[in-house]
Amino acid sequence: MAVTTRDVVSQALSGRRFDIRGYLFEGMLLLALLVALGILVTLLTDVLIRAMPVLTERGGDFLTSNMSARAERAGVLQGIVGSISLMIFVVVLAFPTGVAAAVYLEEYARDTPLTRFLNTVIRNLAGVPSIVYGLLGLAVFAVLLGNVTGPERAGRSLMTGGLTLAILVLPIVIITAAEALRAVPNTIREAAFGVGATRWEVIRSHVLPYAAPGILTGTILSLARAFGETAPLIMVGAVTGGFAFTASGPVEALQGPYTALPTMIFSWARQPGADFRANTAAAIVVLLAVLLIVNATAIILRNRYDRRW
Amino acid sequence: MVRLAAVIMAVVAVGAIWSLTFRADAPTEGVNGSIFASGSSTVEPVTLIVSEQFHEQDPSFGYQVEGPGTGDGFALFCNGETDLNNASRPIQPSEVETCAANGVAFVELLVAYDGLTVITAAANDAIDCLSFLDLYALLGPESQGVRTWTDADALAGELASDLGEAFGASGVPYPAGDLVITAPGEESGTFDTFVEIVIAPIADERGTDHTTRPDYVASPNDNVILEGIAGTTTSLGWVGMAFAEESSGFVRQLEIDGGSGCVAPSDEAVADGSYPISRPLFVYVNLGRAAGSEALRAFIDFYVSDAGLGSAPEVGYVELTAEQAAETRAAWDGALAEMGP
Amino acid sequence: MSALRGLEGSAARRRRETMIRGGFLFAAGVSVIISAAIILSLAGEAFNFARQVDVSQLFTDGWFPRRDQFDIGTIVTGTLIVAGIGMVVAAPLGIGAAIYLAEYASPRTRRTLKPVLEVLAGIPSVVLGFFALTVISPTLIDPVCPGSTPLFNLAAAGIGVGILVTPLIASIAEDAMHAVPNSLREASYGLGARKRATSIFVVVPAAVSGIVASLIIGLSRGIGETMVVAIAAGAVGGSLFSLNPCQPGQTMTAAMTALATGSDQVRGASLAFPSLFFVGLLLFGMTLVLNVVSERFVRRVRKRY
Repeated sequence: MAVTTRDVVSQALSGRRFDIRGYLFEGMLLLALLVALGILVTLLTDVLIRAMPVLTERGGDFLTSNMSARAERAGVLQGIVGSISLMIFVVVLAFPTGVAAAVYLEEYARDTPLTRFLNTVIRNLAGVPSIVYGLLGLAVFAVLLGNVTGPERAGRSLMTGGLTLAILVLPIVIITAAEALRAVPNTIREAAFGVGATRWEVIRSHVLPYAAPGILTGTILSLARAFGETAPLIMVGAVTGGFAFTASGPVEALQGPYTALPTMIFSWARQPGADFRANTAAAIVVLLAVLLIVNATAIILRNRYDRRW
Repeated sequence: MVRLAAVIMAVVAVGAIWSLTFRADAPTEGVNGSIFASGSSTVEPVTLIVSEQFHEQDPSFGYQVEGPGTGDGFALFCNGETDLNNASRPIQPSEVETCAANGVAFVELLVAYDGLTVITAAANDAIDCLSFLDLYALLGPESQGVRTWTDADALAGELASDLGEAFGASGVPYPAGDLVITAPGEESGTFDTFVEIVIAPIADERGTDHTTRPDYVASPNDNVILEGIAGTTTSLGWVGMAFAEESSGFVRQLEIDGGSGCVAPSDEAVADGSYPISRPLFVYVNLGRAAGSEALRAFIDFYVSDAGLGSAPEVGYVELTAEQAAETRAAWDGALAEMGP
Repeated sequence: MSALRGLEGSAARRRRETMIRGGFLFAAGVSVIISAAIILSLAGEAFNFARQVDVSQLFTDGWFPRRDQFDIGTIVTGTLIVAGIGMVVAAPLGIGAAIYLAEYASPRTRRTLKPVLEVLAGIPSVVLGFFALTVISPTLIDPVCPGSTPLFNLAAAGIGVGILVTPLIASIAEDAMHAVPNSLREASYGLGARKRATSIFVVVPAAVSGIVASLIIGLSRGIGETMVVAIAAGAVGGSLFSLNPCQPGQTMTAAMTALATGSDQVRGASLAFPSLFFVGLLLFGMTLVLNVVSERFVRRVRKRY
């Protein structure tokens, strides 16, 4: 095997121009990427083909119908509305808390055992499987706080689902925000300190504005991740059968039943009959379309505001 | 600045969609209430369709229907947590006790009939008809560990000599092949009905428990069962007839001999009683909650009407005859009368 | 002294600073509260289960919670089989892709191919579960497994999990290799080695901590994966102990899903609801150990450079 200078020179002298093994190796590595690409393409094509009948025949009707026992009348409206409502929860609860925690860890905290402990805790939380968060939501929000979150239905309400998802996303928001803050060069901070600003003033006027695009991108990506989460919602009681619910106010809506797009996909995948298969595929297309838009937004924002220091 | 505007626009758009979830100016006519139903995943589609139809008539009516299984549904029902329980078998004495202990008064309403069909893969043409005796030999409590069809020959032979043809003629020798079983589990009323009709009579003769063997792939989800059956050639299982008919390309329904010869499963055979494994489908209503909920009362009124009961065939079940429907209505009216004004 | 006093600023401003700092500290502390809540809520019901269960019930023929059979071996083996198959798929794909992107790809190739991994990473697990059930199982598993294979099997779920985990491994491994300073590579080229040799003998060993960390994190993710197994292995109510990946089986996560889609109080076996938390605690413990171990490896990378 040609490794060192002597071998290379001897190989060149003996006339072999092509490093076959080298090219083979590179080819194998490229193959890995191409397999990944192939899987992606197969998945998307298969889903689209299955979804075609539903999308072409029913089109907009699919997006505006409720859940139904009859496959030809079932639609994803409640799933879309539910998912968006859950995302609002996540943004309102997790985003401020997460960014604030990141600010503390990156800007205020000195390297003490407490700080290291906090960092470890957050990193571990980010690695906990999402179904465990579902259990947490079940035990705390549904069972323990059932009277507040959903008195009519043993705590299995929109509020519970939203809180559970917010807690799930929090560690990820903290980590991405912390990374964005770390990317701000110290010279910016020092410039502000140099004119007598307090730490908070430095953060508010110099650090945050520069880190904002990175934080925003990270948050949008975490939202995309939360949008596709299914397991925790099933644990805390998203409806899988069917429902129609008209709340007479925001509080009732929060305490009411709900479903989300991924849980609809999960429950439809379990229905017997070929028609629900097509519906499942169509719902997947809708889900992927939404995720595509969200991720594209994040990437566009990142490219527009990406500064080179 | 542009970004701020975009963010504001996004918030407004989201808020508009969010407001779709509730209407502050809810209509004042109509029942203005909702019901919560749980229980059998078999009966779930019927209750769902009736709920949808009622909701179309009266948009102020809300509903939530789940299908974790008859047994699980009764646990919630007898705890007073649901308005009605969908059941693919009658309520059991232990459940009646629990309901009584928790002060839950209820009425049992028959809403449709369904057949239980024994299925194997569409590609399996080695078997046409199985008797109750065969089913006990293959699926009963004494068959734990039986991995191939032929392993059950011995037990079937024994049963045939003990019981004769009382439970149908034996199908031994069974064809070769792995015995791969996918079937409902204990949380499902479909399980209970199968045990009660097919296993229990023979179990009584043999002195064994009223249950099946535990070592099979158990699922309350009919799609899982159908897929499992379709995927293996020498498979065996059972589901509600309505579900099997939807997957007729992948599974084969076997003829059943309950002691009077092989009968093919069909809606007509269930309706006239000639098909031996058929079961009534019920809806149990919590009378205490009905007394306090106009929505629940109106909903049940609609359910037991011709329009409501007539939805059963839409989801593949057998509609009640005129006399049976009248009996159900009488039961509901009687319960209503007892409730008082 | 007085000059320093003059520079300190007003007392009110300092008080505000302390309050703000306290607020941020509280936000960070929320994470600790959440961790404690997870452990407490799991441990409470799990302890409930442990107290009531008979040890013999934990070692039975299979996992049938509604028949009072809680064989831990069944669900743990199921989880390990699925995660194992997943790693067999994801490790070569992920690390191969990472080496290519870090060492071989031109900036233009990188720009076109890296998004492939990012898109794959963004696909929700429900979608992969559906894909595993409808495409992977009939086309990949059925021909390979002997005899007739049921549609629901652990192998299909395993491959689905592998696809899910590949982008995760690829991105962490690539970051690790990127972090290797160019001076090392240049030294290697200076000795006359070509790219392949440099990659295999210089870069990968230098980044090995990060690569190992990526594998451990991938394994942890594979163990905790729920939806792929819930759909492709059936989320069935119970299953026998089995080592055969060509058959359906039960993982810890699928068992939890099956218990949760029933109702709270299950008829008969009153231990089913607490068993949900017992399994959850077991799962939490396993992934926690893996995550802590992987962190040790990551810290070793940071220390070196």
